[in-house]
Amino acid sequence: MISERLMDILIDSFWNILLPGLTMTIPLTFISFAIAMVIAVAVALVQFAGIKVLKEIARFYVWVIRGTPLLVQLFVVFYGLPNIGILIDPFPAAVIVFSINEGAYSAETIRAALEAVPKGQMEAGECVGMTYLQIIRRIVLPQALRIAFPPLSNSLIAMVKDTSLAANITVTEMFMATQRIVARTYEPLALYIEVGLIYLLFCTVLARLQRIGEKRMGVYGR
Amino acid sequence: MVDNLLSVKGLSKSFGSGKILDSINLDVGKGDVIAIIGPSGAGKTTLLRCISFLERADAGYMAFADKEYSLHDAPRKDILDFRRKTGFVFQNYNLFLNRTAIGNITEGLIIARKMPKAEAEAKGMELLRKVGLEDKAGSYPSELSGGQQQRIAIARAMASDPLMIFFDEPTSALDPELTGEVLSVMRQLADDGMTMLVVTHELGFAENVSDRVIFMENGIVVEDAPSGKFFSEPEKERTKEFLATFIER
Ligand SMILES: Nc1ncnc2c1ncn2[C@@H]1O[C@H](COP(=O)(O)OP(=O)(O)O)[C@@H](O)[C@H]1O
Ligand SMILES: [Mg+2]
Repeated sequence: MISERLMDILIDSFWNILLPGLTMTIPLTFISFAIAMVIAVAVALVQFAGIKVLKEIARFYVWVIRGTPLLVQLFVVFYGLPNIGILIDPFPAAVIVFSINEGAYSAETIRAALEAVPKGQMEAGECVGMTYLQIIRRIVLPQALRIAFPPLSNSLIAMVKDTSLAANITVTEMFMATQRIVARTYEPLALYIEVGLIYLLFCTVLARLQRIGEKRMGVYGR
Repeated sequence: MVDNLLSVKGLSKSFGSGKILDSINLDVGKGDVIAIIGPSGAGKTTLLRCISFLERADAGYMAFADKEYSLHDAPRKDILDFRRKTGFVFQNYNLFLNRTAIGNITEGLIIARKMPKAEAEAKGMELLRKVGLEDKAGSYPSELSGGQQQRIAIARAMASDPLMIFFDEPTSALDPELTGEVLSVMRQLADDGMTMLVVTHELGFAENVSDRVIFMENGIVVEDAPSGKFFSEPEKERTKEFLATFIER
């Protein structure tokens, strides 16, 4: 069924797709996600602690980011900002947008997790004389991050796939690499399935890692 | 009295429109063990929580260890200061879930008091020995029975050498066969001279261990008497009724 010519194209293209996957898709995902986590923890804590003005800013941020399409955000930063003299290279532009976008979603996840930590943990900390920040840092936040681990892993896996949108702002990640090969070979069906399978491979590895992670830190002491 | 360790005056607290505590006065002498009893909803928990600043009272102040505190708007510094001189034992233990037994005891020492780790751990082991759980030092709360968790919670409350420990129904969440181990740790603590304010349904503890019993209902102190007198010849009708319902059961 699969002609020899198609077979050759698939084999030749495999490395040409996988390579940008390893050098672009994966770094874009992990760098963005790491920055997103820093943003998310800060935004979640500001809301959880109810710090006056910052809380409003945090809410506004989450509202705007969750209420607008990721693709629009990419276009605003990459194609829009040059209008006011801000030019950012494709890769850093993608990192900025993905981390700000994911930061808003993960902030909600972590905020919910902070609220899921039993109130008594905070009170017990107060009663042994710890300050609010000490209790948050040593008792409440570590427990919240464990609670948030499965949904955050989910977000990470979703982000691997979402990075394909960066093709729209000329980041030569896996999907763009595939599009280029399609333009040369006119084999869209086989090649798009091929890149899909490579995404599947990446996500399968991450899902496996998630399961190992969950097992290792399910419940304290179990 | 001059030698009161704790003296609460005019403590009032409402939640919404309900007056939960109505101008409570309470004196606790150094070394006293006081049991607070009363029906559910009387305001016993709220009383302990207001004194410990877990809840902000609408009015009232207290003197503790020769220092004055507003129960309504004490500054953070005062609250921290009070907490470092007292311990609190919760009905449902509230052990730090991400810390081992020994970690629960040393956490406050190392973090709040900046005690060197080795010293804190030596102290933690000594306290675990006192509550009979030195072999559980490395166990997490999820691996321990309720009775064991509560004994560790008591050890945690003792860790900072407090002047006084508050107990909010320390045995109410436990299966009946586990209350004994916790009560015996508390009795030991009382024998060692600790000042204790204990909300409890254990009339045996109130009668045999405590020096004084306070009966609360509807946010007021109905009766406050030495424990012998409280049980043998209570003054108030309401106290007699309450004790009768208990003895029937
Ligand atoms: N945080 C709260 N918000 C509203 N009502 C409360 C709160 N805490 C306690 N109450 C009410 O205050 C009353 C006394 O409660 P509590 O002090 O727990 O009584 P006790 O410990 O004697 O059983 C109850 O009617 C309870 O419903
Ligand atoms: Mg209660």
